[in-house]
Amino acid sequence: MSEFQTLAEAVVKGDIKTAVAETQSALDAGSKVQSILDKGLIAAMDEVGDRYSKGLIFVPQMLRSAKTMKECMKLLQPFFREGDITSKGKVLIGTVKGDLHDIGKNLVAMMMEGAGFEIIDLGVDVPPEKFVQKAQEVEPDIVGMSALLSTTMPSMPKTIEALLKAGVRGKVKVMIGGAPVTEKYAQEIKADSYASDAGSAVSKAKELLGVS
Amino acid sequence: MEIPTFQPQLKVLSREQALSIHAAALEILEKIGFKMEHPGALEMLADAGGKVSNGDRVRLPAYLVENALSSAPRQIDLYDQKGNKTIPLANGNSFYGTGSDATFTLDLETGERRRTILKDVGNFAKLVDALENIAFAMSMANPEDVPVEDIYVYVFAEMVKNTNKPVVFIADSGRDIAKIYNIACMVAGGEEELRRKPFILNYSEAISPLRFPRNVMEKLIFCAGKKIPICLPSGCNAGGGAPVTLAGAMALGIAENLVGLVVHQLAGKGSPFLFGPNVSVLDMKSTVVSYGCPEWSLTQAALADMRDEIYGLPIWAFAGASDAKVMDAQAGAEAMFSIISAKLSRCNLVHDVGFLEYGSTSSLEMVTMASELVAMSRFFGGGVLVNEETLALEAIERVASGDPGSMFLTDDHTFEHFMQAQFLPKLLDRSRYDSWEEAGATDLYKRCNIEAKRILSEHQVEPKPDEVLQGIAGVLQGH
Repeated sequence: MSEFQTLAEAVVKGDIKTAVAETQSALDAGSKVQSILDKGLIAAMDEVGDRYSKGLIFVPQMLRSAKTMKECMKLLQPFFREGDITSKGKVLIGTVKGDLHDIGKNLVAMMMEGAGFEIIDLGVDVPPEKFVQKAQEVEPDIVGMSALLSTTMPSMPKTIEALLKAGVRGKVKVMIGGAPVTEKYAQEIKADSYASDAGSAVSKAKELLGVS
Repeated sequence: MEIPTFQPQLKVLSREQALSIHAAALEILEKIGFKMEHPGALEMLADAGGKVSNGDRVRLPAYLVENALSSAPRQIDLYDQKGNKTIPLANGNSFYGTGSDATFTLDLETGERRRTILKDVGNFAKLVDALENIAFAMSMANPEDVPVEDIYVYVFAEMVKNTNKPVVFIADSGRDIAKIYNIACMVAGGEEELRRKPFILNYSEAISPLRFPRNVMEKLIFCAGKKIPICLPSGCNAGGGAPVTLAGAMALGIAENLVGLVVHQLAGKGSPFLFGPNVSVLDMKSTVVSYGCPEWSLTQAALADMRDEIYGLPIWAFAGASDAKVMDAQAGAEAMFSIISAKLSRCNLVHDVGFLEYGSTSSLEMVTMASELVAMSRFFGGGVLVNEETLALEAIERVASGDPGSMFLTDDHTFEHFMQAQFLPKLLDRSRYDSWEEAGATDLYKRCNIEAKRILSEHQVEPKPDEVLQGIAGVLQGH
């Protein structure tokens, strides 16, 4: 990470001002956008993720780093559209129909974004047809569903069923999570993956798409 | 000469602190407002003087809160299913019970953590029925083997079949709560009997911050109309649904409770409402909501002080739970910490006894242990009885000036008083090493396992009459 060391350190520390300035100066100096992203921002977030999983830092510190990365990404965003850089994958995410809880889902979205995924967040109480419609529109690699209540869990298989009927299921990987959700339940409803928390959601998503 | 016994108690807030948190809660309601997604409740609030904007945003003037606080009853009595008043919630009385909706349980035979089934609900209810210090039942399970749309109806039916103690129940919406109410009426012997001697209390949750979903309000309004006691915390865990600082999290949780109370009293003036925001913390490493943290005990002790200073309503609390995955030393330490502090801060209805894994796993052994820990804290909370008999000067004189070999152990005073004067543990082991080893060298988990098994095989729950059982079957079959 030597080339972008100051940038990466700023992201790790969650120093938004320095990180944004470093990103801008890297762009001004003509650095490749993909390199800034991969060797600067994502490398820093990998380091953050590593520190977190070793118990060296706490969630708010990790999220501050993610926020810092997001601010830097705003400067890189124009280049996304020009096709200069690619994300790890596109993730469509939402809390399922009938469920209005979003803290867990938001955490997963932020962590995945920090790891280099592109996130399309549908919010809460998302009906199957909305998942389908948006999936057809943005063609995600992963559809992620969250539920906190056991009574809303049946919306997960219903959504999978709807994706199947619309002919989308084969084109996406389905990930599920939430307090009452289990590995066994994921198998029963034929989801591709289950993650027990935001950190493991990132590694499971990478596994599913075969990226590192 | 009668000397009143001082009841040891914990005070954690000054009056000034209590009033500041209350003022912040009122400011949240007046200035920030909340999202009310139930059209009927929205209309009631608007008619009463709430300011509605952007469709479902409401701001509440403080006088509506004052009105609701003055019409809500200050004492709530819960009865057992045979009509005995067993839970008089007033002043600083504390009653402990289990929790709801655990995804997993520790299997009593194998010790393994597995998904819960309906039979577990029955076992927990039966254990509660037998345990002296556990006063009410909650489901302790979210069973995977019943139709999910009626999960709470099945769970409630299973509880009333397996205990005659009061039941705190969960429902999903206005639809299933009506079915549960039907069953409760059958058990009580009619609607009027249930109203007079309620054995049920509903636990519902709004969503922090400041969001009141339609299905939750349906239950609140249903309970207000039927005079079913209810509590409505909202999961304002510090750092999760609420600010990370405890004062702000409490202010938010209290504001949310007050919204519930206002709607509740508008829908059914004088109906019973238990106060309690449930302010735990979101753990900053794992993002779980902690069930073993000192913060939750501290915020509910603070709430108890606010009850005494301001609200006057009985409060809802938690204790006897843990974040540990197995019933180990951590589980014992965390359970005891919350049980004794709930007792000393005079919390009223104390739930979640017997939870492991931040409320995701229930354990029959843990409930069994907690019953003894509650007994221990009750003993401590009883204080030191001081009178002529307990000062025992005569006994001292007898032993000190008596024959050689005379001792307190053989003195009549000891024989007459030891059962009350001492806490006599049943499961906590004080035996000498050799006897402990001979008896199998068991740890507390093992002894609680044996005791829970013994209770489940020996305890007889007084069965419900056949017509009640048939009525319940009818409700479950959708009649």
